[in-house]
Amino acid sequence: MSHSINNAEHVVLDVRNLRKHFVLHTIDSRIVEALNGVSLKVSAGEHVALAGTSGAGKSSLLKSIYRTYKPSSGEVFLKLDDDSFVDLISLTDSELATLRGTQIGYVSQFLRAQPRRSTFEIVTKAGIQRGMDSDTAKQAAAYSLQRLNLDEALWDVSASMLSGGEKQRVNLAAGTISPPRLLLLDEPVSALDPVNRESALELIGTLTDQGVAVLAVFHDIDAMERLASRVIVLRNGVVDYEGSPQETLARLEGVAR
Amino acid sequence: MTSVVSPEWVLKVNQLGKIFGGLSENGLALTGPETGSSKDPVTGAIVAAWNVSFEVAAGEALGVVGESGSGKSTVMRCIAGDQSSSAGSVQIRTSPNEQIDVLSLTPSERRQLRIDKIAVVYQDPAEGLDLNVTAGGNIASPLTAAGWRNFSSIRSRASELLLRTEVPLNRMDDVVKSFSGGMKQRVQLAKALANRPPIVLLDEPTTGLDASVAAGVLDLIRGLLEEFGLAAVVVSHDFSVIEMLTNRCIVMNHGRVVETALTDQLLEDPHHPYSQKLVSAARA
Ligand SMILES: Nc1ncnc2c1ncn2[C@@H]1O[C@H](COP(=O)(O)OP(=O)(O)OP(=O)(O)O)[C@@H](O)[C@H]1O
Ligand SMILES: [Mg+2]
Repeated sequence: MSHSINNAEHVVLDVRNLRKHFVLHTIDSRIVEALNGVSLKVSAGEHVALAGTSGAGKSSLLKSIYRTYKPSSGEVFLKLDDDSFVDLISLTDSELATLRGTQIGYVSQFLRAQPRRSTFEIVTKAGIQRGMDSDTAKQAAAYSLQRLNLDEALWDVSASMLSGGEKQRVNLAAGTISPPRLLLLDEPVSALDPVNRESALELIGTLTDQGVAVLAVFHDIDAMERLASRVIVLRNGVVDYEGSPQETLARLEGVAR
Repeated sequence: MTSVVSPEWVLKVNQLGKIFGGLSENGLALTGPETGSSKDPVTGAIVAAWNVSFEVAAGEALGVVGESGSGKSTVMRCIAGDQSSSAGSVQIRTSPNEQIDVLSLTPSERRQLRIDKIAVVYQDPAEGLDLNVTAGGNIASPLTAAGWRNFSSIRSRASELLLRTEVPLNRMDDVVKSFSGGMKQRVQLAKALANRPPIVLLDEPTTGLDASVAAGVLDLIRGLLEEFGLAAVVVSHDFSVIEMLTNRCIVMNHGRVVETALTDQLLEDPHHPYSQKLVSAARA
């Protein structure tokens, strides 16, 4: 495997010519093309922001990397503990399930189905899954829930009862506890008020210092300006242009300022 | 190249098949999703399941999804030995030096297997329990079958299990017939776990229960799967059950596996036309 671009030593995610199309059998086998050959790299400690108008393929890209969407073709190399790379697309479902728990985090806009389990338990379990012992995980869970200002009265409440913004913070706490090697974020603060958003962005900002490779979608320029070291703009399922936040953000259309 | 290791299987089903009746020469080609029927048009034989393969590791739950009649329960019954199979193999490996070829066992060896290796929880409590016997008596039966003789240790093990499955202990000596649907399922779970089997098969475990009762039973099942690190197969036509309990699935249609996927992928990006139909029906 060759990794030629910058920081070659530290590349954690190496996506090559990734394509994803959907065949909608229930609607006359219509074909929807979401990704038309995306290539990008993310290094350890780097925060790459994905931008582009609605429908450009941002969520599809994150889901195809995590394999919630099954890619149609291309390669998604992830660096492992022993510095070897593995193509996530070629793994079996059970191999991928194992890797997800330990190495890849995915935080979406919506809380995934984990109903009827307490907030604290969800976050603690995520830590244990990534190799923390139970006491350390509990401490870490408490620390990040506090950091995200989640009212302690809600810690033992089933997460299905929480408000959208509260769920989002639980999600973020679970995604960032004992941070995985690669973290995929899809509008993780979209439901938060300004104060809570601020603490969430701060928490996300600390991840890069810990060497996490972050690939994130935010729908506002401010968040990208603050967090991203590089911005990749998608259009119609391909990389349109990329560069530093200063170079790219001014050109962006369809994004809130 | 890959240094990713997936956990080792405890249950391995390989090309399992079950046919009722005599198949015509082209019977396999004449049945299945492409033809839209599991019935051989020449002889009337039913291909209830064919070429079904999967592996399940400890601490892992595999979902089997499909409409009624798709072959889900047949697969379950063949693994459990409730039914003989026509083809394929079922292996269980509970330790590195113990591997059992389930389909080649004698009937009495199979009964033994059901006592401490494979437990089954059925949709209909009457299949898993003797409804005219008390909760304690139902749980005692696998224990005595496993060689427990001392009355008071059987009682105390039974109370421990009922406590864990949240059945009030003061109901231990009541006949199960008098229990609510949700409570019967809890007793089935207690009985299933009596001898700490490594494998549990759950066939529509919450179907037919009121939503709030079902939710409680599901919570319990999820807790038990995690606590005991069970290898589980969960048959359900209900995606919310599958989503909550499993992380991988197979989809069955007319006796065949039409799709194998991670559960979140099946729900968000189903590929086979039949899976797409099922998922969109569930989302509607
Ligand atoms: N599960 C799916 N089935 C069918 N088509 C899909 C699916 N997911 C995404 N698409 C299509 O893929 C294209 C890209 O969508 P995607 O959600 O990736 O865009 P996005 O950049 O995340 O947009 P937004 O900013 O609105 O979230 C769209 O045309 C969308 O309709
Ligand atoms: Mg999106």
